[in-house]
Amino acid sequence: MLEHALLSVHVLGGIVFVGGSAAATSLFPRYAPAAAGEGRSLSVAVALHRITRGYAVLGLTVPLAGMTLAVVQGRMGEIWITISMILTAVAALLLATQIYPRQRQVLADPGDPGRLRLLSMFAGVYNLAWAVVVVLMIVRPGSGQGG
Amino acid sequence: MRLLRIAAAVELTTLAVLIANLLTVHAKAVTTFGGPLHGISYVAVIAAAYLAPSTSPNGARWRAFIPAIGGLLALRALHTQEG
Repeated sequence: MLEHALLSVHVLGGIVFVGGSAAATSLFPRYAPAAAGEGRSLSVAVALHRITRGYAVLGLTVPLAGMTLAVVQGRMGEIWITISMILTAVAALLLATQIYPRQRQVLADPGDPGRLRLLSMFAGVYNLAWAVVVVLMIVRPGSGQGG
Repeated sequence: MRLLRIAAAVELTTLAVLIANLLTVHAKAVTTFGGPLHGISYVAVIAAAYLAPSTSPNGARWRAFIPAIGGLLALRALHTQEG
């Protein structure tokens, strides 16, 4: 019962919060104010900036529930969990130390297309990290009970 | 700010528990849960320091990278800036 509850929180948080922040980081460069391009809007960009931050903070529930689940199931130490935790830490640091501050810079001082390209690249890396984690969660290499 | 406060407390207490456990009974259950919890709180402290609404860089972000007490140092730096 506890395991089911933890897994539900883990998966739901992954879909809603991590998915939300991943979508917001991807869309931010598309809507951020810049010289060229149609449909750009400061208010949309500000909203995406807030979603990036708020959903990432709420997304903290996902590794917390996942780690608790791993301990409850006695799986802590299996290689797929270790790699997933490292990738999660990398993604979190990327979002907090690179993507979020650079978004703030773009909103404060718009106009440099190079910054938006860099943000697009970081968003791609951020999304890729989560894609790899999801595959690890499904394939579970190194799992005692098989995938 | 609330996130930074919680993460800083967890960062320091988990490390204290881990070291105390290492020096005494060395129960594997404590290590298994405390280790990752300390790791996640370390990352959370850094993330929270960067997400904190400070406009002027004052070293709070770099302080967050210091192990164990980085969160408390970052909190203090941000408070100094406010006051």
